[in-house]
Amino acid sequence: MLGYPARRLGFALVQAAVVLVASFGLTALLPGDAASVVLNDQATAEQIAVVRHQLGLDQPLLDRFGHWLTGLFSGDLGRSLVTGTPVADELGRRFAATALLAGLTVVVLVPLALLTGVLSGLREGSRVDRVLTAFSVVLHAVPEFVLGMVLLAVFAVHTGLLPATAAGLGGPDLLARPEVLVLPVAVLVARQLCDLARQIRIGVAGQTAGEVAEHLRLLGLRERTVVLRHVLPGALAPAVQQLARAVEGLLTGAVIVESLFAVTGLGTGFVEAVQNRDIPQVQGYVLVFAGVVVLGNTAADLVAHRLTPGRERVAW
Amino acid sequence: MVRTGFTRRRLLAGALGAAALAPLAACGGAGSAAPNRLRVAFAAGGSKETLDPALVSLFVDQARSKALFDTLVAYQADTSLRPRLAESWESDATGSRWRIRLRQASFHDGRQVTADDVLYSLRRVADPALASSSRQYFAKVDFGASKAVSPTELVLVLTAPDFEFPAGLGAPGTEIVPAGTTSFTAPVGSGPFRFVSFTPGGPALFRKWDGYWEGAPGLEELEFVPVENEAARVNALLSGQVDYAHDLAASTAARLAKESEVWLGEAKLTTMQGMALRLSQPPFSDPRLVSAVLSGVDREALNRVALAGRGEVGNDLFGKGLRGYAADIPQRSRDVDRARALVREAGAEGLAFALETSDVDPCFATAATLISQQLKEIGLTATPNTRAASTYFTETRTKGVAALTRTATLPVATFLNQRFRTGGSNNVTGFASAEFDALMDRAAATADETARLGLLGEAQRIAHDRGGLLAWGFSTWTIAAAKRVSGLVTAPPNTFDWARFDRVRLS
Repeated sequence: MLGYPARRLGFALVQAAVVLVASFGLTALLPGDAASVVLNDQATAEQIAVVRHQLGLDQPLLDRFGHWLTGLFSGDLGRSLVTGTPVADELGRRFAATALLAGLTVVVLVPLALLTGVLSGLREGSRVDRVLTAFSVVLHAVPEFVLGMVLLAVFAVHTGLLPATAAGLGGPDLLARPEVLVLPVAVLVARQLCDLARQIRIGVAGQTAGEVAEHLRLLGLRERTVVLRHVLPGALAPAVQQLARAVEGLLTGAVIVESLFAVTGLGTGFVEAVQNRDIPQVQGYVLVFAGVVVLGNTAADLVAHRLTPGRERVAW
Repeated sequence: MVRTGFTRRRLLAGALGAAALAPLAACGGAGSAAPNRLRVAFAAGGSKETLDPALVSLFVDQARSKALFDTLVAYQADTSLRPRLAESWESDATGSRWRIRLRQASFHDGRQVTADDVLYSLRRVADPALASSSRQYFAKVDFGASKAVSPTELVLVLTAPDFEFPAGLGAPGTEIVPAGTTSFTAPVGSGPFRFVSFTPGGPALFRKWDGYWEGAPGLEELEFVPVENEAARVNALLSGQVDYAHDLAASTAARLAKESEVWLGEAKLTTMQGMALRLSQPPFSDPRLVSAVLSGVDREALNRVALAGRGEVGNDLFGKGLRGYAADIPQRSRDVDRARALVREAGAEGLAFALETSDVDPCFATAATLISQQLKEIGLTATPNTRAASTYFTETRTKGVAALTRTATLPVATFLNQRFRTGGSNNVTGFASAEFDALMDRAAATADETARLGLLGEAQRIAHDRGGLLAWGFSTWTIAAAKRVSGLVTAPPNTFDWARFDRVRLS
């Protein structure tokens, strides 16, 4: 009988494997291939055949998948079909920018969500609760690019307080000029705040009105102690799982935000790789994304598993 | 020609219009920009980008090529030729031996540009293994018989007469590189700017080349900044992060026209917008249906809506305003009754077919919808079928019966050979006419320019009648720059003055 963590990790590995096989197959199914992308509007059928052969695209799909898999197990992600440079280089170049965006977003998001969630949850139905809830729902309802455009118009173009884009800056340069990250991070936070804060609010509200909390209050414990020692830990289990989902949301949000603010990151890189039918490059991105999502969810499940009181655990 | 696989999400053209735009903020560019550095924003090609001039496929690649390298000749706005590295070019009486004399010019490493470098560069482009899209211009060159006569003179021998041959020497992708060059990670050219740094999909930095044969540029440095999203390019310009934004939408132009802090450049008649009908298979193997479509489409409405009224109406021919364009052919206009009668005559009422389209060009989506509505009125059901941008042009070469198409500026004779000659490299309609081919051959072998252009005119008449191309309009090319930039000239892509920054000055 395996323990829960071991089973959960095994399941995560299977998930990642399925995603990698599916992405390889789906990219191959898309109309056109990298050869027609490398060449331009004017290419002749003969030129396309030459390039297709150069890229090895005339080999059977299973063979190509086999090659890629063999490479993967020896730690080689292969080379981009379009540029011929190692896939890992491109990933490395773009990873920094997205990691920075996502990291900063989490750093801002978590305290903000805790603050609003706890404030609302402790005073359910009060004016504070209604205002905070309404505000976060409105932010959530605005699509990322619309919010981005509005913030750009106000803070970059109209007042000139903040730079409009991160144009021409690589990952490492972003740290040197953090002001270019303010608007993209604001958009990402706004989008994720509602879900996370509401999850915390529900948990806090449920626990604070629950029998256990009432009992502790009757025993004469101070309200602060009741909240910190009991209400919050109980409320955080579902919130941690919501945070893992927020990280997934950040990956999809990154595509739009990176495009709007001209950040050279994983989101735009992935879209480009798919457009280019650059299978090795697509696989590289999928590996990173699947890794982040699967690891994030697994970690969240394990943490939630620990936080949940024993009597409420679902048997596996 | 060259403009592939870049999508522009027209998310928000105009969404900023609501915001009153303030004067530009102080330069908030990246890094510590050197004084006198011009930052230009282009749609990025991402990782597809290269500095190998023979493999350029994107506008940003071409613009960088232009900064680093020179071609032998260049196109004026109407595609007539002007000398660059070639001081002069002349042929023998048959048009099959061309003698090219080079001017004194040197590469960035100080070596002189010689006839050997030119031969090496052209051979490279003509090599099938390189798969350069400019290869077609040198299909007739016999490189075995061609040779350098002296360091500054060479002879190119053709396998057939071609008095229009020099036009190929100005095409994008024919830039001259030092003999023996195989790597382009830090290229050496003879252009106005020297290479400093470049990351594919990232920025490129070039520095002025004091030894440039036409005189050193007025800028110290030129930086290309990739900004894929059109709205982001505009925002970067408006907030002073860049000084120049390339390739803007018509709706953006309308908005920026009211903007006093921005210089707006609009080049008319740059890209032919059209629809190609496949003549080699049903339904358009029936000439009556081709005529019906040509009569059924409302070109004025397409220009008004799909090009926001900023373009020009086309007459089913490529090259309006260019040298050799047959301007005397009467304008074709909409005739719904005639179109309906033709459809009835062909027994094709209610005929349904797919109209291939894509978001590869910002006006395609609107054009496809409009054409579909207009054809409904003549009894044909054309359903737009949207394909992926990055592979659109290669796919529609063989798939579908009707496809939206576009072509940027290139010489008229080149276009006619590619599109309408039997088995031409870009003959997507499958048009095949011995009469047309013979006219093109005669034109190529005619030394007298007036007579030659006359023959091209006859060939265009045939293409206009039966070529299966509906060229409904010509779009306008829009760029914008900060007021502190002077010396920019608006010109169609692929021509000499387009994306040329060595005569630019910053105040």
